[in-house]
Amino acid sequence: MATAEVRFQPERINARRATQRRPAVLRLLEAERSEEIFPLLLEEIIALGFARALAVDVNFDTGDITPAAALKWPRQQLEKFSTALWMSEHPLVSVLHTARPAVLNKTNLHNRPIYIHPILYSNRNLCWEADRIRTATCLAVQNFHREKKIRLEEQVCATCDMRAYTAALIVEVPRNAAQSAITELSELIELANRYLSRLFKVEHYYNRMRDMEITIAQMGTVMQSMADPVILTDTQHRVIMQNKAAERFFRVPDEMTEGLVRAVELNNLLFSAALSSMLVSGSDSHRDLTLVDAIEGEEMLFEAVSAPTYGPDGIQIGTVTVMRDVTDLRRADQELRSNYDKLREAEEVVRQDRDRLNLIIENVGDPIVVCDREAKIVLVDPLASELFGEANEVPRNATQFRNQTQLSAYISNFTYSFAERETAPLSLSNPALKQEIEYDARSGKIFDEGGQVSYTVTVLRDLTALRKVEQLKVERRMLEIEKFAATGRLAATIAHEVNNPMEAIKNAIYLLAGSMPDTASPIYNILKSETERVARIVRQMLGLYRNTEQVKPVNVNMIIEDTLLLLNRQLQRANIEVETDLGILPDAVIAADQIRQVLSNLVINSKDAMPNGGKLIIRSRHFSSPDDLQGWVRILIADTGTGVPPEMIRSIFEPFVTTKGEKGTGLGLWIVKGIIQNHGGRLSLKSKPGKGTVFKIDLPVMKL
Amino acid sequence: MNDAGQYRVLVVDDEASVLLTYRLILEQQGYAVTACGTSREAVEALEKNEFDAILCDYSLEEQHTGFEVIHAARRRYPEVPAALLTGYATLETADEAELKGIKVMFKPIEIDEFLSTTSSMLRKNNESNQKDIGEKDAKPQSNRKGEHGDSGARRRASTGPVKG
Repeated sequence: MATAEVRFQPERINARRATQRRPAVLRLLEAERSEEIFPLLLEEIIALGFARALAVDVNFDTGDITPAAALKWPRQQLEKFSTALWMSEHPLVSVLHTARPAVLNKTNLHNRPIYIHPILYSNRNLCWEADRIRTATCLAVQNFHREKKIRLEEQVCATCDMRAYTAALIVEVPRNAAQSAITELSELIELANRYLSRLFKVEHYYNRMRDMEITIAQMGTVMQSMADPVILTDTQHRVIMQNKAAERFFRVPDEMTEGLVRAVELNNLLFSAALSSMLVSGSDSHRDLTLVDAIEGEEMLFEAVSAPTYGPDGIQIGTVTVMRDVTDLRRADQELRSNYDKLREAEEVVRQDRDRLNLIIENVGDPIVVCDREAKIVLVDPLASELFGEANEVPRNATQFRNQTQLSAYISNFTYSFAERETAPLSLSNPALKQEIEYDARSGKIFDEGGQVSYTVTVLRDLTALRKVEQLKVERRMLEIEKFAATGRLAATIAHEVNNPMEAIKNAIYLLAGSMPDTASPIYNILKSETERVARIVRQMLGLYRNTEQVKPVNVNMIIEDTLLLLNRQLQRANIEVETDLGILPDAVIAADQIRQVLSNLVINSKDAMPNGGKLIIRSRHFSSPDDLQGWVRILIADTGTGVPPEMIRSIFEPFVTTKGEKGTGLGLWIVKGIIQNHGGRLSLKSKPGKGTVFKIDLPVMKL
Repeated sequence: MNDAGQYRVLVVDDEASVLLTYRLILEQQGYAVTACGTSREAVEALEKNEFDAILCDYSLEEQHTGFEVIHAARRRYPEVPAALLTGYATLETADEAELKGIKVMFKPIEIDEFLSTTSSMLRKNNESNQKDIGEKDAKPQSNRKGEHGDSGARRRASTGPVKG
């Protein structure tokens, strides 16, 4: 590359002097820079015998025309030759536009005739660009051949983009100057212009080269500063150039482990293969490449984009490949994809759940209402919509409005209560039956992550039918109890009639004791013990007669306490510790006297089972069951007595079965069982000989 | 107590055979027994004599009850101990009796219970009437052996419970 300094030769002026007497052709060759042409030319013109000469230069950027050099021309007159291209009236300008030399005799420019010779960048040969492209036109050649008249403003080469120059030589000529002298002058100027054109062309290319150097340096900086690997390869995929980012993957640094060397080799191989495949496929110039980072050692995914590069002759000389690190991008993409899949799966599950739930809700057969935390209805099943109207809609009629108000009051209360679930009666108007119906509202809460109530779910049970059944049960049970009482009364009446004669018999036997002969003693004993047995049976039957009381709501705990109070002395005497654990009970509809008899029978049984004392535990509880509205009362009577022999457990409730031998009637538990059954209750026992016995009584809580 | 030092017991029952056996059993224990078959007879007997204890059937002739007899006795002798003998006292009856300080014995009555209840009634009453202690030493003549005799009307003033 040539540098500007080369042209400032110190011996230049001496050299010129040395060649002063050479012909003009040779002397003009002294000029090595375009600016040196005009002074040399002016000297030659004067040497030809012309009085004075000057050169004007056209600045294409501004359109200004200014004197560039002058010889023997009075300085003060040079002003007149300063003009501009658009000053078409100016004699100089009009000659310039014609691009042909002219002699002007009378002008206001000079008091003598002047010869004006415009010169234009011209060359016989095509410039290098035009030469390479061949078909293109070259401005210099066009100007040389003067093929057409060229406007000064258009003096820019279409091929190489070079701006031409235009100037004019102005020479004072004598009046009536000989044509030969003018011709000589013209030829000299044309010769000079040829030299000028050549110098101009060289200078143009020098400038271009300098510009290109700058551009290349800039491009290099750009390429190196790119974070993405950029690689220029030749047609054999050999790396011509690569930036630092690319070296990380494709250049083997000095110090590296064998493994990483292999990684770099593999990278090159992969890259080469990708380039080949892109070359083959032609249109598709994108490839994904997994490369190993030679420094970090980790795998990275790249997207390689390649573009062919062409030489000046239009033939591909290589390929530029830019690689984009898409590791994170692809990973994110993959994650996004898998998340999307998961979301779709979850959505499917939720959808199925919802469908299933809807199916359940539609088939429950009871009205279901879901409310939000403001007690506003958000979901209803078809049955509930009859009562309240559709969710998120205003009630259609007064009944629905009233029901909504009722529900809202109940739900608000429940939402702000501490209970997680609640069962409460709720009176609502049934639009179909046009009457008030009592529902059993069972509500639960749904909480959000913050533990706040987000929704409440309420299932309403129509209690009318259930109540009717309940009522029937109560009535039937009362009838049973009454029947039992009637039977009891009959038995008691008979027993009462038997009682007095038996009292007399018993007393008589007692009175006979002292006056019996010893031989009659066994018979006497039979008489005595059997009479006592009859007395016990009579006593038991008389007990039934007392149970004539009406059936009414009673708290079973009170009956337990009464019974224990009545039997307290007996139990104390038998050295029995009594422990009671009475729960909170609702009033149960029962015949209190009959239950009292049940309890006293069982307590006395327990007492009899503990001849050496022991512990008696009585416990009462209320428990709910899904089948009955009011639930049950359970009474447990446990003792630490002798227990019931296993073989007797099955028959213990049958009449005249007793564990007490002669002392028992075998009627107690039979009566107990009858009373419990009449009350719709259940009776069971568990016993371990030597450990004790537990009686369990369940009585249904009924309401009248 | 009569001159012979015997406790005087009034027994009332509308069943003649029952009444008879009660009288015999009590006399066996050494008590002076007056037996009446109706409430009217009983009231008349009460007007003539003083008694240490009244044992009275609950249901008497023509809807009369043992309460009437005991009320009549208490009108004269407010402190007299009394017991109802009954086949089928309702809870109300039992409550009423308890309220009035009347014992209740349910028929059929175990003779042990019958005798012990009677003797304890007499003993209590006796302790509240200290005047008799020491003078009267008439033991009920017990010609019966065993437990029945022991539980008779024998006074055990020194060992008996003190009336609170």
